[in-house]
Amino acid sequence: MDRDILISKWLDNDLNDQELEVFKALEDYDDLVKLNQGLQAFKVDDYNTSEELDTVLNTIKSNKKQSTQWFKPFMRVAAILAVCFSLYYYTTTLDTTITTEFAQKTTIKLPDASNVSLNAKSILTFNKKDWKHNREVELDGEAFFKVAKGSSFKVKTKTGLVTVYGTQFNVKQWDNYFEVICYEGLVGVHYNSQETKLNPGDSFLIIDGKIIAKEKENRSQPSWLSNESTFKSSPYKTVIAEFERQYGVRITLVNIDSDQLFTGSFAHDNMDVAIKAITLPLRVTYSKTNNTIILKRE
Amino acid sequence: MDKQLHENICEERMFSSIFNKHSKDLHNFLYYKFGELLNPKDKVQEAFVKLWENCAKVSPDKAKSFVFTTANNLMLNETAHQKVVLKHQQTKPKMYTNENPEFLMQENEYHDKLQKALANLTEAQRVAFMMNRVEGKRFKEIAELLGISTKAVEKRIYGALEKLRKDIKEL
Repeated sequence: MDRDILISKWLDNDLNDQELEVFKALEDYDDLVKLNQGLQAFKVDDYNTSEELDTVLNTIKSNKKQSTQWFKPFMRVAAILAVCFSLYYYTTTLDTTITTEFAQKTTIKLPDASNVSLNAKSILTFNKKDWKHNREVELDGEAFFKVAKGSSFKVKTKTGLVTVYGTQFNVKQWDNYFEVICYEGLVGVHYNSQETKLNPGDSFLIIDGKIIAKEKENRSQPSWLSNESTFKSSPYKTVIAEFERQYGVRITLVNIDSDQLFTGSFAHDNMDVAIKAITLPLRVTYSKTNNTIILKRE
Repeated sequence: MDKQLHENICEERMFSSIFNKHSKDLHNFLYYKFGELLNPKDKVQEAFVKLWENCAKVSPDKAKSFVFTTANNLMLNETAHQKVVLKHQQTKPKMYTNENPEFLMQENEYHDKLQKALANLTEAQRVAFMMNRVEGKRFKEIAELLGISTKAVEKRIYGALEKLRKDIKEL
């Protein structure tokens, strides 16, 4: 038998007894056995399969690749939802603010169908979201309220708090001027931690911190709603301020006592007539340039 | 075949059985091919972790070639064609104690020669040869493991043997 084949068979552990005898007789038998023995020294370190498996499984578990596969997209979706929700929440709970400019009037329907008419240059703030539990508006300026029946309705102003038990009333709050007139039902005014209740026709007026008594009001609603400002024994400066708001002009007084009382009215739709209405009774002359009106007493 | 469709490597039991079946062969393959310095154990670990990460994409019958290819690539990335440094196991198991110093010296000399000669073999030759001689695997098993024909395995091993003997004589 060929030597090469014998060696090959030996390598493959495929020798039968006969062949083994022949193989042992080969001249390089000793050499081969020696080599074979020498090679055993190069055997791999013991490879502990179960130990290695544990390590791999631990690595896999600590990696948590499985969970991150759904965790990442989930977090993305969650983040978007969170942003949307907070945006929604923020916008719906945000206070609603309504502002009128010079010479502008507006009527607002509150969430419970109450009506508010807002006079010129006024700001009304309320919260839609909380309306059911808390009927409360903040007012800076003048407004007429027609309140729908329900729980108490409050109007907060810088000067005082107006609580509504009834239905129709006017609130006027300007610098150093605070006036509430009740037209229907019952209105409570908190001023300096004291509550004054107003019956229809009653009014509550504070000028420069002083409570001023006023005679009964016999109209059914404030005159400004019919485009007219009416004054009864009001300081002239409040008349001027109202005029400025209604026509969007600036008025300068020369030689005029701004505290003198004025009774009368002016319309909101004709400036020339209106200016006459507030100047003639006091025998005051006026000159007009652009947006500025100068009132002068001779 | 039906069974394979349902069996999934993502199941730990299946994964473990694949690991038990192939990890040792893979380790030995890497060891004989690249030597000890490059941590064949770590590469085996890495390859199987990668198998787990791709468990949904790899069918069980492809798992073996997946880990072999992955581990081999990991090794190649690291070696970056540096000369393979072979540090095979040096400490020879003491079979007998009645050695005289001269015999020991000869033994050591032979050992060194063998080590150098092994380093001179090609990777393919060394892997096949060591699996056969040291791990006691038959040609057919090696052929399966390496994905080549039995004839090619025989050729590699025989060639390796001839080359070793020649080298040892010359050294």
